[in-house]
Amino acid sequence: MAFDIVECQVVASVNEDRFVGLVIVSHSAAIADGLAELVAQVAGPDVAIVTAGGGPGGTLGTDGGRVLEALRATDGAGAVVLADLGSSLLSVRAALAELTPHQAERIVLADAPLVEGAIAAGVTASTGASLADVAAAAEEARRVTKL
Amino acid sequence: MSPSSELTLVRLPETVALHARPAGAFVRAAASFTATIEVHANGRGANAKSILEILGLGAEGGTELAISASGEDAAEAVAELASLVAGLS
Repeated sequence: MAFDIVECQVVASVNEDRFVGLVIVSHSAAIADGLAELVAQVAGPDVAIVTAGGGPGGTLGTDGGRVLEALRATDGAGAVVLADLGSSLLSVRAALAELTPHQAERIVLADAPLVEGAIAAGVTASTGASLADVAAAAEEARRVTKL
Repeated sequence: MSPSSELTLVRLPETVALHARPAGAFVRAAASFTATIEVHANGRGANAKSILEILGLGAEGGTELAISASGEDAAEAVAELASLVAGLS
C-alpha cells in the first residue's frame, strides 16, 4: 500500500512537467475563455491552458501586458501560442521579445487557425508529445478540410 | 514479430457520438501505438491520430466504425480501440 502511494506521487510530478501547454490570445475574452473550455473538454485535464483575451478594461482588443503575463505563466515543458488576428500576433511577438532567451526558446507561436489549431494542439499535447510535435499539429490544422 | 494488417468493425453506443471528450480519448489511445491506424465511417476515412479528422467523420451514436491498422502493434491497436469505442459512455 505504502509503495503504491509513493509511486503515484512520482507520476504526478513527472506529468506536471511532461505536458506541453497552450496559450490562447484573442481580441475577445469570451472567445479565448470559451475556446479554452472546449479544448479542455476534448484534451482532458493534463494540458495547461492560459488565456489572454480582450483589451484593457474588458474591451475588445489586445493587452500586451496580459499577453506577456500569460507567456510567463507557462511552465517547463513549454507552450504553443495560438492567436486570432493581426494585433494579437503582434502582441505575442512583442511579448516574446521581452522574455529571456531561455523562456522564449520553449514557446512557439503557431501559424494556425485558432479553433482548429487549439483543438489539434491540445489533444496532441495530451498524448505527451514534444513542443515541436504539438506546434506541428496546430499548423496541420490548415490542411484539414471541413466538408 | 512481423508487421501485420488488422481490421475490425465496432459500433458506437447509441447514445455516444465520436465528438469532444470521446474523440479526444480515442485519439489519445491511438497515439500510444506505432501502427498506422485509420477509421472509416459514413463513407469517410480519417487518420485515427488526428483529432480534426476524427471529428470530421461526424460519427453519431450507433454508427459503425471500421478501424484498420498496419504495423507491428496493429493487432493490439485495433483491439484496444474497438474496446474503447464499445465502452464509451
